Amino acid sequence: MISLSASRVQQIVTAEHGLRTQTFPLDIVRKIYRFGAPVGHSIEMHGEAPRCMDLARQDIINSEQRNNSFHSGKVHIAERLTGGKGRFKRRWHAPEGGIWLVLVLVNTMLNKYARLLPLAAGVACCESVRHFGVPAHIKWVNDVHVEGKKIAGILMETMLGPTTKEEYVLMGIGLNVNNTIFPEEIARSAAGMREYLPENLQLSQVAAVLIAKLAWNFGLLCYQEQTEMSEMPCGGRGVMSPVIQAWTSMSDTIGRRVRYGFNVVSEPQYLADAVGLADSGALIMRLPDGREIIEAGGEIVYLD
Amino acid sequence: MEETSTTDRQELGRPHLICTYNLENTELMQDEIHFDDILRGYREDPFDYHAVSTPHTGIIRFKVSTGESVEGTTGEWRHIPGTLLYYLERERNVKPISSTTNGIVSEMNNAFDGKFVEAGEKIMTIKHPLKKREIIDSILKKVLYMFEAPERAKYFFSLEIQSRIEKFGQRAVSVKKGDEILTMSLMKRDTPVYYEGEPGIIHSVYFQPGDSIEQGKAMIGICPKEKLPLIEKIITRVRAEWE
Repeated sequence: MISLSASRVQQIVTAEHGLRTQTFPLDIVRKIYRFGAPVGHSIEMHGEAPRCMDLARQDIINSEQRNNSFHSGKVHIAERLTGGKGRFKRRWHAPEGGIWLVLVLVNTMLNKYARLLPLAAGVACCESVRHFGVPAHIKWVNDVHVEGKKIAGILMETMLGPTTKEEYVLMGIGLNVNNTIFPEEIARSAAGMREYLPENLQLSQVAAVLIAKLAWNFGLLCYQEQTEMSEMPCGGRGVMSPVIQAWTSMSDTIGRRVRYGFNVVSEPQYLADAVGLADSGALIMRLPDGREIIEAGGEIVYLD
Repeated sequence: MEETSTTDRQELGRPHLICTYNLENTELMQDEIHFDDILRGYREDPFDYHAVSTPHTGIIRFKVSTGESVEGTTGEWRHIPGTLLYYLERERNVKPISSTTNGIVSEMNNAFDGKFVEAGEKIMTIKHPLKKREIIDSILKKVLYMFEAPERAKYFFSLEIQSRIEKFGQRAVSVKKGDEILTMSLMKRDTPVYYEGEPGIIHSVYFQPGDSIEQGKAMIGICPKEKLPLIEKIITRVRAEWE
């Protein structure tokens, strides 16, 4: 049973100030958390639901029909999903024991920064899994895995408000926590955090940590946008985006031999070596002929 | 690698289609398409002129000269850059800019070499020899309502449009303003793209679903149903008369 409130998330945020000051001065940490404050200010709990994405969409529609502004940062969490889906209509197994949530953000960012949201979400998930001692890594774009077994998946969709035409970003996150039994077709490629820990985790605590990490990483993107707009690049000229920096430190993609495809499962396109990440978050790969190619979409599987 | 280019046929005085995309003016549109003039224009000067402009500010250093042949982007995955045209340096970041089309460097503003230039500065023109298919496309792009990629990303038809195309065929699928026509996939985030032009049928598709499409590139050509015979007439005429 998940029991969670915004104040619980706030407690985690406060407790993490010390951790964040290892990277940024305290005044900047406070500023970043202020940017991220809308995330999780409102949390709606559900028992069983078909999909959290559908709940969030309906919530937006209802809100607009009442002529209300939808509050950016609202989170819907379900205890289990009956119709969970990944990309390309792939089935997402979401039984009790995991965290299945959607964070809704009203998109007010410039494209240059908003396109990094998927990376920020991956960093938040990976930080959360590591917070509990599970040695996770990120596979481009934002799959979180442990030794090749996927522990968290992220699905992001954009929705235009039917009345206001406001753009909403729906960030769907599935995190396998205490659930460790998977359907046969994914049993060898999926894992729950519990498999790497001596005992079950308290789901409310994991959800609170995840939302707090999302708040930080969303705030970090807003901070990057604000500082660059003020012509003060984060950390000085030529310094990498803090979100990309965090992503790079947690990813094991660069240097790997990969297979790439827009839908790599059904239509693999080519083999390459992942050699870097562009400022835009796109993956830079080297093809067998030595030429480089940059992909801003699609997916990869590791071959080594 | 990138090249900012526009076609500046008009600047070079070539006769071009006068027809405008105006639903209330069908007769005028038909009257003003002078096929003979258009085809004569293409016969006399079967080239397209791509204006190469700077994508951002910086100090420019040319690597080609007037009259030089250049190659465009090639490779199975469109990953092999074309001929290096120039370097553009901004804040010690040197960016090589390559040609995206084949042809001859026909005009260059050599005064810019080694100097600071503004973004969008036209610095050279590439004279690209047109094939028959390109001539048809070139004419159609003036007649059809062109729906362009809002940003560099991968695109595919929305589920509804895709199922209608599969069921009825592309030219039986009509779209109107506000229809969700495409899904833009960027960094594993899917965004619906809504059609904003004149209502009509999907006449031409200029992209492969799942390919990376550059911002501003024409993706779909929309034609009002009643104009379809006219469009077919243009295509037939060019095919028949262009050797």
